[in-house]
Amino acid sequence: MRRVRPYRLARPSWCVPVIAYLLVFFVIPLIANLLRSRPVDAAIGGGPFFYYVKLLTDPYYAGVLLETTKVALITTFVCLLVGYPVAYFMVRFAGRWNALIVFCVVAPLLTSIIMRTFGWRVLLARRGVLNAWLLDWGLITRPFELADQPIAVYIGLVHVLVPFMVLSINAVLQGIDVQLEDSARVLGAGRLRTFWHVTLPLSVDGIATGCILVFVLTNGSFLTMLLLGGGRITTLSLLIYQQFSTTQDVGFAAAMGNVLMLVALLGFLLQFRLLRRRGVKP
Amino acid sequence: MKRPSLPVALLFGYMALFLLFIMLPIAVVVVVSFSSSSYIVFPMPGLSWRWYRHIVEYRPFMTSLATSIELALASATLGALLSVPAALALARSRHKLAGLLANLLLAPISVPAIVLGFALLYFLSALSLGLSFTSLLIAHTVAAIPYVVRTVLATYRAVPSDLEESASILGASRGQILLHVTLPLVRPGVFAGAMFAVLTSLDNLPLSYFFGSATTNTLPVVMLSYMENQFDPSIAAISTVQMLIALATLLLLDRVYGIERLTAV
Repeated sequence: MRRVRPYRLARPSWCVPVIAYLLVFFVIPLIANLLRSRPVDAAIGGGPFFYYVKLLTDPYYAGVLLETTKVALITTFVCLLVGYPVAYFMVRFAGRWNALIVFCVVAPLLTSIIMRTFGWRVLLARRGVLNAWLLDWGLITRPFELADQPIAVYIGLVHVLVPFMVLSINAVLQGIDVQLEDSARVLGAGRLRTFWHVTLPLSVDGIATGCILVFVLTNGSFLTMLLLGGGRITTLSLLIYQQFSTTQDVGFAAAMGNVLMLVALLGFLLQFRLLRRRGVKP
Repeated sequence: MKRPSLPVALLFGYMALFLLFIMLPIAVVVVVSFSSSSYIVFPMPGLSWRWYRHIVEYRPFMTSLATSIELALASATLGALLSVPAALALARSRHKLAGLLANLLLAPISVPAIVLGFALLYFLSALSLGLSFTSLLIAHTVAAIPYVVRTVLATYRAVPSDLEESASILGASRGQILLHVTLPLVRPGVFAGAMFAVLTSLDNLPLSYFFGSATTNTLPVVMLSYMENQFDPSIAAISTVQMLIALATLLLLDRVYGIERLTAV
């Protein structure tokens, strides 16, 4: 039988308004940002890549780049460790509790990042909840400082970003046939061995998607570092924020933004390839 | 009943810890918002509504909350008006360019908001729009488009083309089909996408930050500058109000779209 072309209501021209809108207010501004990262004053010397060279060679800025990467890698890894068991539980064990768990995972996304960061400040502060409890239970003798420490930034970041990891992995786990696991069990593999040799390899796509997402989102966030880091962790996006609000070095801020863009773009391309491999249309 | 094996029991315990981890910071903020103390101490000396009275009396909170809600609704609406026709066209297209265009429409999600905000600020200033509600609306609409495109594409792809074809054979005009067949079929997708856009817009500080002015500011920007000066429970109170607004939106979303479908990212 000849395959009949499905009926099409919409004409290609229906795409024109939104494409025009994004060209003007999305593509062109980002291209203009590329041009803005050239030094205006030719007297500075160093050519069009002056700011990028500064970013890579100046010890302070190179350190910031390194710290940005470190923070993103650690956050991604911890999110994976924390999130995977949750996604697995939701698919295999939650049953009728699934809706409740979905709610608990999605609900934080509804609260502002400021609210969640504020909550962690209240919990972690010297006179905060955590210290009060630990003192009450006699586990510690004097309160210790948790806020304004790198550990607070990591806790805050994982709390904000782990839902994205859980949802990405959960989506892939849902598609894995339970019978594959059952077969492994029937053939004598234990629960852990089944997980390690069957489930985990099959969910690699979800792990990759979640990791790319969390990595890129960590690079873009600065509120957590600003409100929980106490100045101890400076990343690229925090620096852009500070450059804008204090020194107003536009060219340099633009250059830093472009570096962040590049990382995000690479993540996006990777993700697109993964999706295509899975045979999912974007 | 069979006793669960040790790994499974551990997994259940772990889930309890995880849910505590997720919910504790949020619950703490809600509790603090009812504190009667002027600063944040534990245990709290007593309960009161004073911080809710304070945020109602503190003008910048209320005006910026109104601006945020207005902005979220306007940008989601504008985003939907732009995105829905395009998503309908792209969902059934087999043209080589269709995939590429769909990617362009989804791309704003992947760009760090602080970079987009920064780039747009200088671009719009050159157009002498600068710090204004219009600039905010333009920026937040860019961010809204991917959410609507994504949900409408998914919804429309799941709809068989037979329904529209039957209507066409029975003599309905394109306009009639669009109005009476297609739009009602994709309405849940449109609505869900717009809701996502609203929720993201309400909390999009990096995008709004650059366009804030004395007259027009969104709530997160005002909250941040308030927090830089004082650390009192009024931030907890306004956060709780904002959460309740978002929660109401989610419940609406659940009734229209089904909350479990949200996990299909």
